[in-house]
Amino acid sequence: MKTRIKELRARYDLTQEDLARMVGVRRETIVFLEKGKYNPSLKLAHDVAKSLKTTIDELFIFD
Amino acid sequence: MKDKLGIILGIGIAVAVVVTLIFYILNAGNIELSEIFPIFIVLILIVSAFYILWDRIKNIKKGFPAQDERLKLTNYKACSYGFIASIWSAVGAPLISGIFFDYELPGNYVTAIVVLFGGLTFMISYIYLAWKGA
Repeated sequence: MKTRIKELRARYDLTQEDLARMVGVRRETIVFLEKGKYNPSLKLAHDVAKSLKTTIDELFIFD
Repeated sequence: MKDKLGIILGIGIAVAVVVTLIFYILNAGNIELSEIFPIFIVLILIVSAFYILWDRIKNIKKGFPAQDERLKLTNYKACSYGFIASIWSAVGAPLISGIFFDYELPGNYVTAIVVLFGGLTFMISYIYLAWKGA
């Protein structure tokens, strides 16, 4: 699984810590999400997508 | 509040284990070589527990949750590995002792092995999964 979290985070000038605070998780979770090493719950995927003003479909790319 | 209560409880339990260990070492007299191994495992468990607690305190101070969904999943996985290790050690320890050393393990030794092996497996799995990703 690939994600566009890093790209969109940079677009909105957000740090990993900022995004983590916005969605209520630890910074390490954002790191794992960006690397595609963690499959988030539907709620977390929705919260991250909402924080980055996009949709889940646009955010997560399944090979 | 729930996070802070969990941390306080964790510190309390860890300190109680340290105090118990110190009392045991002070009153055990001559500690045999066979007793050093379980003490060493208990020390590893205490150090690991303090590391996990320190990590949670650090995150709370920075305004992050002590535990999020990824860490909860890590916890569940590590718990299940620890549980499986406990069951196998309960079966395996008396068998290995009987077959290879021709020695029947007393019940309290088996209990100690089950607790220590399960705890050690939990700690190793937890730290590995938290570091590598669940």
